[in-house]
Amino acid sequence: MKQIDIRVLVIDDEKDFANTLAQRLKLRNLKVNTAYDGEEALIKLKGEEQDVVVLDLRMPGMHGMEVLQEIKKTYPNIQVIVLTGHGTDKDEEEVKKLGGFGFLNKPADIDTLEYKIKAAFKEKVDRTLSANTFADNNQ
Amino acid sequence: MENKGERDLRLLQLRFIGKILAGFTHESKNYIAIVKESAGLIGDMIQLGEKAGDGSQAYLEIIHSIEEQIEKATDLFRHLNRFSHRMDTELCTFNVNETLEELIALLTRVARQKKIKLEKDFQQDIPSINNNPSLLQLLVFHFLEEQFTRLDKDSSLMLKTSLSNGSVIVQIIAKGNYLEAESEKGLSNNEIDDYIIDQLRGIIVKDNDLISISLPVSLS
Repeated sequence: MKQIDIRVLVIDDEKDFANTLAQRLKLRNLKVNTAYDGEEALIKLKGEEQDVVVLDLRMPGMHGMEVLQEIKKTYPNIQVIVLTGHGTDKDEEEVKKLGGFGFLNKPADIDTLEYKIKAAFKEKVDRTLSANTFADNNQ
Repeated sequence: MENKGERDLRLLQLRFIGKILAGFTHESKNYIAIVKESAGLIGDMIQLGEKAGDGSQAYLEIIHSIEEQIEKATDLFRHLNRFSHRMDTELCTFNVNETLEELIALLTRVARQKKIKLEKDFQQDIPSINNNPSLLQLLVFHFLEEQFTRLDKDSSLMLKTSLSNGSVIVQIIAKGNYLEAESEKGLSNNEIDDYIIDQLRGIIVKDNDLISISLPVSLS
């Protein structure tokens, strides 16, 4: 059976961190891209569809919350996991309110992150399926 | 009882230290996160040995990256340590360039977050001065902080030092555009700046893009 590629976009202004994390996720058979700020991420999302986004909060230029808001507005099915070094309880609450899938603190355990990414992908597939079923039933 | 000037000074000092510590812990946590992921990557590659193939070059690159992060962290620790010890004595003989270098290192992250470049242009042969280094850092920080909030992204702030008529001059030069709401306002006139410059027995001249602090080489 053909394995489905899970497409992940890692957004973090710390290039070394983003690249190393991307390498680790690739070794776990995920298809990973990186972006080093919010603006670059939104351009990449326009060019190539993604399933899950792993997003830092405090970045130069666009704050992670703005990026999350923009992603959920334009691509509601993409699931966003916030991975931040300095998140507060208030941030976590805000992420939930904006439709984020998960909230992890840096440095996160790689197995936990992989598990969350797969759960987020499943959520995306389920939502897409139910949206399609709804559309079919209304035709 | 403390007078208003002293009370405002203490509050500003606390905010200053808080800001420096927040930037320091943020940066340190990032270095640690990169080291952790790099070590994890080596572990992954060993576990998945067959898939990774002959990875000795890749291992060396990761080890190099870990060393680089540790060096950066060590540098930051050194700057914070020196910054903390500046407060040990009120008066001492110090090199202004080193004091400002330290401030730049500790505020680089704040500047990066605002997409503002912090630059330096130091005259290398300026004499050491006898004054209060911690208070000078506080004054420069206060001006930088105000300019951080006024300037638009992709601007720059330069710290320049020189010697003129027997005084050491520190200039904060802004280049770039101001945010729309800030462009009309100009720099604020804070009593606390006057209070600090009195303590330093110096002179401040403020223009929109240029703040010039003149300090005597010796207070005696």
